[in-house]
Amino acid sequence: MTETQELPPEVAAEAPTWEAELQRVGFIRRIFMARRWYGADWWFVTISAVMVLGFIIVAMFPGLFAPHSPDDLVGPRFLAPGAHPDLPALILPSDSPDNELIDLAVPSDQPRPIVAVVQGVPTSGALNEQAQVIDNQIKNEPGGLRLRPRIERYATLEEALQAVVNGKATAAVVQSLEFEAISAQFPTLREGASITGERSTAGGFFLGTNDIGQDVLSRLLWGTRIALIIGFSSSLVALFLGVPLGLFAGFAGGSLDRSLSLVMDSLYAFPGLILAIAITAVLGPSMLNIIVAIAVLYIPTYYRIVRGQTLSVKEEVYVEAAKSIGARNLEILQKYIFPNVIPSVAIIFSVNVADAILTGAGLSFLGLGLPPTIADWGIDLARGQRFIQTAWWMITFPGLAIMLVVLAFSMMGEGLTEIFNPKLRER
Amino acid sequence: MTPITLIALLIGVPAFLLLTYVFIHGSAGLRHYILTRVGLTLPMVFILATLVFFVMRVLPGDPVSSALGPKGTPEMLARIRTQLGLNDPLIVQYSRFLGDMVTLHFGNSLMGGHRPIVDEMSERFPATLELVIPASIFALVIGIWGGTLAASRRKRATDYALRIYSVIIYSLPIFWLGLMLQLLFGVQLNILPISGRIDPVIGTTIKHITNLYAVDALITGNWPAFGSVAQHLVLPTITLGLILSGVFVRMTRINVIETLQADYIAAARARGIREHVLVFGHALKNAMIPVITLIGLQVAILLAGAVLTETVFSWPGMGSYLVERISSRDYTAVQSVITVFALLVALISLAVDVVYSLVDPRVRY
Repeated sequence: MTETQELPPEVAAEAPTWEAELQRVGFIRRIFMARRWYGADWWFVTISAVMVLGFIIVAMFPGLFAPHSPDDLVGPRFLAPGAHPDLPALILPSDSPDNELIDLAVPSDQPRPIVAVVQGVPTSGALNEQAQVIDNQIKNEPGGLRLRPRIERYATLEEALQAVVNGKATAAVVQSLEFEAISAQFPTLREGASITGERSTAGGFFLGTNDIGQDVLSRLLWGTRIALIIGFSSSLVALFLGVPLGLFAGFAGGSLDRSLSLVMDSLYAFPGLILAIAITAVLGPSMLNIIVAIAVLYIPTYYRIVRGQTLSVKEEVYVEAAKSIGARNLEILQKYIFPNVIPSVAIIFSVNVADAILTGAGLSFLGLGLPPTIADWGIDLARGQRFIQTAWWMITFPGLAIMLVVLAFSMMGEGLTEIFNPKLRER
Repeated sequence: MTPITLIALLIGVPAFLLLTYVFIHGSAGLRHYILTRVGLTLPMVFILATLVFFVMRVLPGDPVSSALGPKGTPEMLARIRTQLGLNDPLIVQYSRFLGDMVTLHFGNSLMGGHRPIVDEMSERFPATLELVIPASIFALVIGIWGGTLAASRRKRATDYALRIYSVIIYSLPIFWLGLMLQLLFGVQLNILPISGRIDPVIGTTIKHITNLYAVDALITGNWPAFGSVAQHLVLPTITLGLILSGVFVRMTRINVIETLQADYIAAARARGIREHVLVFGHALKNAMIPVITLIGLQVAILLAGAVLTETVFSWPGMGSYLVERISSRDYTAVQSVITVFALLVALISLAVDVVYSLVDPRVRY
């Protein structure tokens, strides 16, 4: 039935069973079966590949995941993660269709809505002011709607809320945190928008807000896009320049190889970040310039590896055989040398993306990479450093994001190296 | 004698003696090799310095007007520019720059005060050294121990844990690690200072001899100052050291693994030598040779890391100096710092190669 049985007995005994098994399965199953002999490295690669895929999806569609726009001032300043902003909010019966203060507006011939507030708190003043503003906006519009709520003061919070439950008042305006503390006692009430309207009070901010009231989580998600664009495009530019140069230098040899290697080696040895600092300082802050600056740093990485591999493959017998039957140089490069270089280039690329993201974040942390308004992790970290005493969340999460993205790419590279590097493999 | 000449003498004289020794006693091949290396190193530094010089001249923005601020009148501007020689033809400026570099004088800063760059560097450079040396030692200890341990427990839990450690460390942005340490030890626990080299009050009592504050405090027996310096050093050292340690763990691991597969290890194992002695005695000693060369090449990571660490901890070293002066367009300072960095990298890799050829008898040139 299987192929092993069809083989002559002496061959069947020699062939390891896994080779026979491997012949019968498809590509996907092969990847799964690889778990057996690659052990933990298989898990490294798999987990990191899933993470990389996740980051790519977030980077492509950050708008789907982010609750707010990264640049909008959507909340109060310095709101801790998960904490709800304490704002004067509208409290309504659960079945009320209204949500914002403007929804309470009624035609002028109908009775004015009654709004309950607690005595002695500044809420009623804010409510009056805000109602006045809205009323001035709507009174000249067609429809004859007016917003002139009648404010009734109650001695305690409970009494004010009870008035809404009993229907004596249309709504109540209380501080949102105070309401949330006792909201269990009033199951028939819900929290609407804040009376100032523009700030959403329900829900809070999962990772807090920054020093000017932007949502940290949204900036984080949009920052993924910037990080991946920088990482991928600078590595790709470096790859497209470094690989051909390396192939060419390694294959041609001679004085060209020597002088090119000298330039590449000095570039390679010099601290990358400092070189990138110098380049971006010259080119000025912009996305394209940061990509160029980082790409320049990584050309030598590809060059060195590809050149080394070309040098060793060039001496192989099969290359000599190809030469003897009259293959042209370009053909040899393309058919015999280039395929041998691909695996190591793939590994370097993965590690390289990680490195480029780190360097890019470092540059923008120093204030040299991107314009300071962009939602970028490095910029957010630099901004958060000034508020280290008060807002721990501003510096914790962007850094964590950088770490996870870089971890995903470098773990993939690490696992692949261990799998592909025959020097380290036992047996 | 300025502190920078002192340090240059301390590093330079032994290096020169070593090089001369190797040159005289080494084989003809080694001599040739050293000559080629020195011959290649100097043009490399020269090319880089020249590049930086012209690149800085292309930069938009003017150092003098940014130093004067909005109060500067056009006459003042012109007068200062002439004084500083910024109105001279580029070729004159370039030859002056080359002269300054060769004599290690570096010219004067373009910022207000126009201090000689040498003076500014003799304050900044020791600060960087004071940070980089303990950080490297910290990283070496963790790296060699961890890497050897991982190699001896290959494909077991310890190995995987240490490999994950080195991957995670590699993925950590160094400035974020610094910020997190500041947050934990400086803000939450409030036990360590988070910026500067020394307490500003205690700092006034210190005598500036080498400008390595720890050394200065030790020589003069100024114990409160030494305590303060040590406290300020803890967090930056851990930050830079941890980042470096990841690379060292990885390199040591790979080299020890390769050494452990050698025949003489199998022979030693067959003779019944205990595994611990085998790994830490026999294998590590031989694996250390390539590890040391590789570590020498990490100077680049070290310097780049130092720039970020210094910025996070407001450490007044060469890295923060570079970042400050780039934003104020102080050409002279920027090109001097980059030249010094290039010189450092080139010299250290030269030294490592020479030492390698001495230590490893198999290497013949």
